[in-house]
Amino acid sequence: MSESVVGKRIPKVDAQEKVTGKAIYAGDMRMPGMYYGKIVRCWEYAHANVKKLDFTEALKVPGVVKILGPDDVTQKGYNTTVMKLLVPESFGEVFGEIADLNIFNRRVKHQGDAICGVIAKNEEAAERAAEKIKVTYEPLPIFMTAEASKAEGAKKNGLLFTPLKPGNLACELPDAFFPGKAYGWNDKDGKTTKDLWKKCDLIVEDNFYVPKQKQCQMENHSYVAYYDERSRLNIWTSTQMAKPVQMLIAELFELPLSRVRLVQTTVGGGFGCRLGMVGEPHACALAMAVPGHPVRTEMLREEDWVASETRYPGKIWMKMGFKKDGTPVCIEAHYTARKGGYYTHGLGPPFCGAAFVHGMYKWEAMAMQADAYFTNEVPTGAYRGYGNPQITFVQEQLVDHMCNELGIDQVEWRKKWHKSIGDETWLKGVTYASDGLNDCLDMAAKEIGWKEKKKKYAKQTGTKRRGIGVAIMNHTSGAWPMLLEHTTCTAKLNEDCTVELMAQISDLGTGGHTAMTQMAADTLGFPLEDIHLKTGDSDYSGFDIGAHASRTVYCAGPAIIESCESVKKQLLERAAQLLEARVEDLTMDRNKIISLKGNPDKKIDARRIAKDAVYNFIDPVSGKNIGIPGQIQGYSSFFAKHCSPPFGACFSEVEVDIETGEVKVLNLVNGHDIGKAIHPPSVEGQLEGGAQQGLGFVLTEEYAYDDKGRVLNNDFTDYKMLGPSDMPNAKIILVETAPDPIGPMGAKSCGESALMGPIGSVANAIYDAIGIQMTEAPITAEKILKAIKEKGIQK
Amino acid sequence: MKKRAITLYINGEGYDLNVPVHHTLLQVIRDQLNLTDVKYGCGRGECGTCTVLVDDERISCTDTDATTKYCVSKPGKRKAILACMTLAATMDGKHITTVAGLNKDGELHPVQQAFVEEGAIQCGFCTPGMVLKGVAILEKNPKPTETEIRNELEGNICRCTGYVKVVKAVERASELMASKRKR
Repeated sequence: MSESVVGKRIPKVDAQEKVTGKAIYAGDMRMPGMYYGKIVRCWEYAHANVKKLDFTEALKVPGVVKILGPDDVTQKGYNTTVMKLLVPESFGEVFGEIADLNIFNRRVKHQGDAICGVIAKNEEAAERAAEKIKVTYEPLPIFMTAEASKAEGAKKNGLLFTPLKPGNLACELPDAFFPGKAYGWNDKDGKTTKDLWKKCDLIVEDNFYVPKQKQCQMENHSYVAYYDERSRLNIWTSTQMAKPVQMLIAELFELPLSRVRLVQTTVGGGFGCRLGMVGEPHACALAMAVPGHPVRTEMLREEDWVASETRYPGKIWMKMGFKKDGTPVCIEAHYTARKGGYYTHGLGPPFCGAAFVHGMYKWEAMAMQADAYFTNEVPTGAYRGYGNPQITFVQEQLVDHMCNELGIDQVEWRKKWHKSIGDETWLKGVTYASDGLNDCLDMAAKEIGWKEKKKKYAKQTGTKRRGIGVAIMNHTSGAWPMLLEHTTCTAKLNEDCTVELMAQISDLGTGGHTAMTQMAADTLGFPLEDIHLKTGDSDYSGFDIGAHASRTVYCAGPAIIESCESVKKQLLERAAQLLEARVEDLTMDRNKIISLKGNPDKKIDARRIAKDAVYNFIDPVSGKNIGIPGQIQGYSSFFAKHCSPPFGACFSEVEVDIETGEVKVLNLVNGHDIGKAIHPPSVEGQLEGGAQQGLGFVLTEEYAYDDKGRVLNNDFTDYKMLGPSDMPNAKIILVETAPDPIGPMGAKSCGESALMGPIGSVANAIYDAIGIQMTEAPITAEKILKAIKEKGIQK
Repeated sequence: MKKRAITLYINGEGYDLNVPVHHTLLQVIRDQLNLTDVKYGCGRGECGTCTVLVDDERISCTDTDATTKYCVSKPGKRKAILACMTLAATMDGKHITTVAGLNKDGELHPVQQAFVEEGAIQCGFCTPGMVLKGVAILEKNPKPTETEIRNELEGNICRCTGYVKVVKAVERASELMASKRKR
């Protein structure tokens, strides 16, 4: 056995190519005979009908090859999300899933909707021609809130986003699965939340607002698509979900999978933004129109905000009831989301929000409703956390509210009442198998100095007020059993006894490929450099659903492990046959010498077995094979069997300037129940980076619109993300005291978990500083000043 | 389309070019020369992914000092600029370093080395610009404080790391460069 690499701080497998600029992203692709595509979008209106399209002047631009309008591409509708492939078909019907998107549109439902596409011999010609296309619009009234959309939909002959969705209600929890259209449970005697309110000594309740946040991955959406000489449609894309997207493209263009090749290029950040199709339909449609020419279609940064999906904004009402000693009794909530112009992810994130309420505290009964109404905004979709950041903002503030009313320590209450081993997780019927949350709370509380600072900040004067806050969270490792969690891997033993792993596992920069390689090395007992993980091309990669729901280590890792175990087993079986020994009596050393335990002279070099397996000959004297013929391969088609939710506890310390409303996050300590960190720097990296996105959610990030529904801040200057000098030096504590009995090597997930703690703890720290509960995220300086003006400092 | 004949020196290599006067340095580097290690992130000077180093004097990777193989410059000579905000026509005769020009003969520049060691790389898209900004910071100020590093990094956006390991990598690179100088 080679030295174990799992848990070691090794350099990432892709670090060298990225630090030297050699990694190739889709926009870096250059191919002979390549054309350039430009998608023409509606920038003037958020809601309009296209009355007339005139390409005359555009076609005169030198270098223009073709211009495609709405009638020149497939009329088939589609849905960007891969969800329909990940649930049984009957599910989609019950939830009311529809395919309401078209490649090019005659009705604009949000600013940025695509109208037509230009193909030209160079990028500049494509852009010039795009500017010269004349579009005549008939503006329609805009609906920018769920209430406005609902009111319009309720009118007789009201304007509907789609005839398939009466009342402009895109989706709600269906009665068929959720009696009373609510997710939750009744108490042990069958009593509902409605019955239990009267049992409560204290009820806390409020209305909250959560923002429309953008993923802001650094790589823009770029594609090269190529309908080749073998009549195959090739696409190079940085999608998160290569195989399901390949399937969606095949369905949309009515091609068999054998004629669609999807190559996943280096992914320049995902965060959910590339979960499903983004610009692939447009890129492929252009390429199909010019067979034999690759077409590169690159989105500009300013397009990203209006043409790719966002987090679900909306309103959340929540009500909690407690006994006077703090015992939680029941909880009700209702999340009404703004859907944007199209169905896309449907009720995904609001439902998951309810699910994560389900997974957190020991209520006697719970009922949470969720729905979403169409609005004239870019559609909502997947964004890191998938509903969890929104409900954490609300739930953790209300829990603190109760603690403050009853004089209970916020940390102690959470330690006592969070769910644990044996309790139901985010999904009914699935119970926790491990729990390291109290260790997260204790270690992080100690690190930040919770008790001392809580006391110190109790009484303050002056313009700068400090506060400290805590929040906990539960998440998931993959989406089993709600969604398909399936990964295949082929491990091929090369003729020199090194290993090639073939799998379509995505690494969005998370370190997933490094972790996979580490797991393979430890399973095989081979050194790291003997393992090569080959990913990215549907022509040789087997099935994997892609990167979503914090699944890679937890759901794809076992496929790597199983396929490597198979290789190891076959290798030892051959050694046993050749040495005339039993497999269980054999051992392999770091030089790959397999020998009999206790008798090291009886040995065989594994390299010999690997070479003879491929370069196999007949001994001319004996007439028998030299060694054993047949290349060794291991294969796994792994389906997850659990979702081992990780917990986390985060503490934040803030300073609020009560004259300017400015909030500075001074310290942030996030303890994460990782089970086992396969590659610790990657886990830390997820949590450190997630903190920046969580702090953005709670402090600065949101879409701003003008009165016509056009985005005012589709750029990095006006859409404020926290920069290097705004960010605290986040301290991450990897809690490995509760290895998961189901997760590979004890591991649970970390990808999305990072946002929730910072969001809840900063909101609570702001309350601790000024004594005002801020119910609208992001909590900007303006909102704080307004609240102080209206209510005065409450402490 | 008006064009201008210019000579650009990129990573020590001279290119005689005829560039449209309205083309940015980023367009010329990426689309005319196909050097794709310089990235397009926003095209309007907001994100820093297209950062390159520019110097009036030739930087030769063959005249490096005896102890190091990587390309060096006199302190404070190289400046980090944004290729998307610079017209190529104005760069005639200038010497430009991109991230691909930092390492030499397979040996990484200390800033690159530190980014690898500290795990400061995630999706890698901001990395070329971030590394070059790190070089510019340390060539101006070999021993910056954490606050100085954070302030200087403003303008280079990363959405993956929260800047924690990036800042650590610049600090580590400062140590690596100091120890190389001593040797």
